[in-house]
Amino acid sequence: MKKGFLAGLAIAMVVLTMFASCSKKAAGTGITTRILTDATGIDDKSFNASAWRGIERFYDNTSLRNKSYSYVTAQSQDQYIPNLNNAADEDISLIIASGFTWSDSIKTVASQHPNQKFMLIDAAGVNLPNVVETLFAEEMGSYLVGVIAAEQAKAEGIENPGFGFVGGVPGATITKFEMGYVQGVRSVFPNARIVDYYANNWGAPEMAKAQAKNWFDSGIYCIFSAAGSTGNGVIAQAKEERAKGKKVWAIGVDSDQFEDGLYNSTDSAVLTSMLKKVENATFQILTELKDGKFISGIRVFDLSIDAVGYSDRNVKMAKTAKDAAEKAKKNILSGKVVVEKTFAGAKAKGLVPASLHAVDD
Amino acid sequence: MGLDNKKGKLLGHDRDELINLADKALKREGVISVIVVLLGFLLGTLLIAFVGKNPSGMYSSIWQAITGHNTVTGRFNIRNIGDTLNYLVPFTLCGLSIAFAYRAGLFNIGAEGQYIVGMTVATVCAYYGPKVPVIHAVYCLLMATAAAAAYGGVVGYLKSKFEVSEVVATIMLNYTALYLSRMVCMALPGATTYNTSPFPKTALMKWGPLESMFNGSTINLGILVLVFGLLVYWFIMEKTILGFELKATGFNKNASLASGIPTRRSTILSMAISGAFAGAAGAVVAIGSFTYGRIVSGMDNYGFNGIAVALIGNCKTIGILLAGYLFGVLKQAQQFMQTRGVPREVTFIIQGVIVVFIALRSAAEIMRARISKMKVGDSKAKSGAPASVKAE
Repeated sequence: MKKGFLAGLAIAMVVLTMFASCSKKAAGTGITTRILTDATGIDDKSFNASAWRGIERFYDNTSLRNKSYSYVTAQSQDQYIPNLNNAADEDISLIIASGFTWSDSIKTVASQHPNQKFMLIDAAGVNLPNVVETLFAEEMGSYLVGVIAAEQAKAEGIENPGFGFVGGVPGATITKFEMGYVQGVRSVFPNARIVDYYANNWGAPEMAKAQAKNWFDSGIYCIFSAAGSTGNGVIAQAKEERAKGKKVWAIGVDSDQFEDGLYNSTDSAVLTSMLKKVENATFQILTELKDGKFISGIRVFDLSIDAVGYSDRNVKMAKTAKDAAEKAKKNILSGKVVVEKTFAGAKAKGLVPASLHAVDD
Repeated sequence: MGLDNKKGKLLGHDRDELINLADKALKREGVISVIVVLLGFLLGTLLIAFVGKNPSGMYSSIWQAITGHNTVTGRFNIRNIGDTLNYLVPFTLCGLSIAFAYRAGLFNIGAEGQYIVGMTVATVCAYYGPKVPVIHAVYCLLMATAAAAAYGGVVGYLKSKFEVSEVVATIMLNYTALYLSRMVCMALPGATTYNTSPFPKTALMKWGPLESMFNGSTINLGILVLVFGLLVYWFIMEKTILGFELKATGFNKNASLASGIPTRRSTILSMAISGAFAGAAGAVVAIGSFTYGRIVSGMDNYGFNGIAVALIGNCKTIGILLAGYLFGVLKQAQQFMQTRGVPREVTFIIQGVIVVFIALRSAAEIMRARISKMKVGDSKAKSGAPASVKAE
């Protein structure tokens, strides 16, 4: 009986395998794409999810999924090169790799497939004619949330508000966030007290929480953190303070962190978040490709396609703050306001205090 | 049991033949493993069908992982075979690691941590080792293996000296290893938040001819490390006094102690050798699959999967190799499945189901006990002779 069972299963397997060869891919019309992500996948509620939304918006037809567009999640990093190689085997118009951890693998594979187009999200340094490397003008988005924080302080009638910034590991990338934020704040309060702190760690929320408590106790009104999960410590502390009735705020980063800041069913301690809308970058590159355009090298996406911005989900955000942010946005777009992204540049123009701990590479 | 089989044959009844066949099949643990794996696939298939997807995508993916033949495009690429073999190496080495401790009665949940220690030490040695071809890579491998052996051995020592549960200790040490690795690797040359600068070429396990044979696959000389590891495992377990002592300790510690086996030494040694296998896996991945150091933000899970590999392989050399291959194939198949509309999570479910069903081994024992009772009943009825005491 067992033998028959086994034989039956074996036959079933063979038949199924044969069926597979019948389900040929429908003739793809136009652009095809595949996004490769790290282990967090396209439902990480953050970066990859955003990139995927851009792809879905481009196709605007979910029945094309797995025909014209697809995704592959790597379980571990040693799958990066095989996954890239196999995507390159399948004549896909554009292979998208989400996140800077792909840099080395994409460099290897893209140089072996010079006719295959690749897009690398949030990293640069590959420098190949078939790779577009996307970066984001985080300093612009950070400027806007700085303006919002300062205007909110004005609207709430805070006297002498102080503003804090928490960074992960110091470096040019995080300096962009800090410089933008401080310039935004100082555009409203030219002499505002600014404090900053680098945890030297992307995963130490407890350090950020202790620092945030000190600052909130010493009269800091709002803290912006660009520090990975370290920043969650700031939000946690802001929640505690607000639950006690203190008027303080935290600002989220990358994706809308409104929900992380909820301290009861409706109120959030996250005033706004600096958004990085990767979806607009993937959508943009795919649209260009459809129009027969492919510009390799470093592409910086900024306010002009709304690739960076702020969240207005918190209803407590003052209308004056939002208006000011919109005005600042227009000024940046028109070139009236130039946001410096290096510490040296901002210091030279006297836009930020010289006592900050930011580092340019 | 052999006595029963003989008796059944002597009596020459058809039904007895059938019962004997079932009895023999159930006695072969390999057969049970195969049945369990097939059951896992069956459930996986049903599950895919149940959520309204086409299970054929899974089988064509697995087919491509094994043969390199893409049934959708009709193309063949030997690189897929090479990549699958490359995944097989760490799975199997970690399987050997778990199995080695298991045979000595220890449950080493810490293969993941020992793997990370091996990976980290190999990464460090890749920068600071002697930059001589071959010697450099071997040096990295040996240092990684030794460090991981020490990392595992400590648990063995704690177990033998203070009766510290090896399960708890190794679980904790997994996290210690992860964060220690991050601290160490962040201090290496060119460290960013996720990687370090490229390794010197002499440290790599890559070998050009092998790569071009598999059309630019990630396959590397780690495959030789695996062959060596399998031989070492088989030799120690089957051919040495040490292996005998370890197995005896695993069967019955007190009886072993009473018959003069140094069980304390057995415990320490088995944990150390277990760690060495996992450390070798870590080294192979570090300097084989990568050309730069990694600052790991999570676990690769080869060590944890090693538990399943060892269980499915029944802790036998060939069994572990086959189970490791199964896991390598499933890992490679994931990327194909996802583009064919089958969630990759199905592979994890299949793996999970297989591990759960491995418990069927004890069910098989129970069935065999029933079968032997049936036979006894038969011989009573047909020949009227009383059953032998042994059969009961």
